[in-house]
Amino acid sequence: MNNAVDPTTPVIALHGLTKRYGIGDAEHTVLDGVDLTIKKGEFIAIMGPSGCGKTTLLNILGLLDRSNGGDYKLNGKSVDSLSSAAHARIRSDQVGFVFQNFNLVPRLNVIENVALPLTYRGVRKTKRLQAASKMLATFHLSEREYYMPWQLSGGQTQRVAIARALVNDPSIVLADEPTGNLDSRSSHVIMEELSDIHKRGNTIIMVTHNPSLTTYASRVITMLDGRIDTDTKDPRAPINQIDTTKRRLDSHSEPTKTEEKAKKVSKKSTKTKSKSTRKGTKK
Amino acid sequence: MRLLLLNHIENAVESLRSNRTRTGLTTLGVTIGIASITMILALSGGATKIVTNQVEELGGNIAVVRPGETKPPNQIENITSPQSNAYATSTLTERDVDTIRGVPNVQAVAPLMVVSGSVRSGDQSPAASTVVATTPDLQTIVNFPIRDGQFIDTTTNIDTAVVGSQLSVDLFGTDSSIGKTFQIRGKTFTVIGILKPLNKPINYNNVDFDHAAIINLESGKSFNQGIAQLQQIDVKATETDKLPGVISTMRQTFDKTHNGEADTTILSGEDLSRPTSQYFYAIAATMTAVAAISLFVGGIGIMNIMLVSVAERTREIGIRKALGASNGHITFQFLIESLAMSIGGGISGYILGYLFAFTLSRSLLTFDPLFSWEIAAVTLGVSAVVGTLFGLYPAIRASRKDPIEALRQYH
Repeated sequence: MNNAVDPTTPVIALHGLTKRYGIGDAEHTVLDGVDLTIKKGEFIAIMGPSGCGKTTLLNILGLLDRSNGGDYKLNGKSVDSLSSAAHARIRSDQVGFVFQNFNLVPRLNVIENVALPLTYRGVRKTKRLQAASKMLATFHLSEREYYMPWQLSGGQTQRVAIARALVNDPSIVLADEPTGNLDSRSSHVIMEELSDIHKRGNTIIMVTHNPSLTTYASRVITMLDGRIDTDTKDPRAPINQIDTTKRRLDSHSEPTKTEEKAKKVSKKSTKTKSKSTRKGTKK
Repeated sequence: MRLLLLNHIENAVESLRSNRTRTGLTTLGVTIGIASITMILALSGGATKIVTNQVEELGGNIAVVRPGETKPPNQIENITSPQSNAYATSTLTERDVDTIRGVPNVQAVAPLMVVSGSVRSGDQSPAASTVVATTPDLQTIVNFPIRDGQFIDTTTNIDTAVVGSQLSVDLFGTDSSIGKTFQIRGKTFTVIGILKPLNKPINYNNVDFDHAAIINLESGKSFNQGIAQLQQIDVKATETDKLPGVISTMRQTFDKTHNGEADTTILSGEDLSRPTSQYFYAIAATMTAVAAISLFVGGIGIMNIMLVSVAERTREIGIRKALGASNGHITFQFLIESLAMSIGGGISGYILGYLFAFTLSRSLLTFDPLFSWEIAAVTLGVSAVVGTLFGLYPAIRASRKDPIEALRQYH
């Protein structure tokens, strides 16, 4: 992972990204020249009306979809020309997905679901389950390890899904309306979890319809008709400057305190993370 | 690409287990196909082995003279046994036996006369028995293993007989029946020897000696107004390389003694077994083709179920892809699932096939099914091919699914 070596390299750099669907008369431009730079440790909320291309952008960032034009650099490397097998490898190594409808595999129990991404990294079953168990413990779900997905509440299910997204230690976490199917109480629990993992140094990109949730984010981007309409931060501005108007909506904590905490924690976890990544590369 | 074979196998077992009934029924299709192929191959292999064994038995220096004109060696009708002509006048006579004795390099000549008529002892009259009248020379040619007593010879009484082990059991309820008597067409014979079980119902003499009573040619002639009706003459040359010479001399002599009539057939070596083994091969090939149809149907069953499974698990495919599975991983996952079903069906079919084969050979047939690694390899190979062939299309279809579309699916 390049960002561990060179912290100034942005995790994601998009230049003039375009995406079109359909052919001829039915052609429809979903993304129309998106320029975006995301640095390590940012928590980005993408807002916008339906059909503005948020989810498409997220899918392209997660390499589930390909752009028709423009340039996408992930950790400083262009990924457009790579094969689909290489894309799968990048998804396996560097991307964690959290979905609106959770998308746990219904046949598998909680711990197997969390261990699933490690399967595609060739981790042996015992080690896989150990890692999954450890990850579930950080989400206080240890007693639920052998539950089946349908036996969980919505909030629990989404926490399992987040645990699964994090188990392979990704450099970006992509969340597509993670609270879209949850009540407001569970939503806030999930958002607390997300902001928690953000504080541990993870890069999170979240699509949401709910303006109140943007308060958890360090940067808010609104999209309109396939373009970035507003960005709370110029890409060149310092990371921790947060739009204070949005802060008011956060009912849980004092804005300044959390901010400071976040700084400290993220510094700490950056150190630990770079250690762990070095370990990872040794393997 | 990471192959993850072990993971895929775990996964396949897991997913097949979650649909036990469906998996079982699909596997059954392959099981039946493989079972029938195994059974056919094992039984025809067993039958063919008996035929090829006779060639080895002949030892390369035995020729057989049969009545009837010489037919092209490849015709299936050649296997029609002389026994079916038992009531037709044979063109072979005792004179021919004497003629052959005069041919140089002949070590032994034995005429075979199958006597029609039942064998009886008290109220026991086994139906499958045969009475063969011959000379002591037959022992020189065939070299029967004697369990007890002796083979017929020139010094013994004409009313003596050597019986096959099974006939002895059928007649007297024991296989040590020396000195006991039985009737052939009302005439009493004394047992002077018992053969060991041969278990060779198909041989170049066309007599199942396990069920036969061997009597002297003179006794046999007495049932036929003193005239020998020979079904076959066995000729043994002194050495293997002398046999062709013996055969051509016999042909020339027969041409003279039978007034130029081509009414005898001289067979040796593979000519004896070839028609028979070809006959079995033809039957086996036809039956295998029929069994292959059932296997094909089984394969279609696999494809059908795999397509259903892929459709059902579209969303799972999407999830797996989002979590880092490549197209190759998905292809393998489904391919291994179909392979697990077909190979599972193959193994159970192989076992079931031999169970059927043994049941059949014990109850209806007189020979054992053949065990060979070729049959195991063929059944395993065929089931693997079926699994791959019919699993590949669903697997590729699964792997080609667009992850975004797949994730959007609800069920």
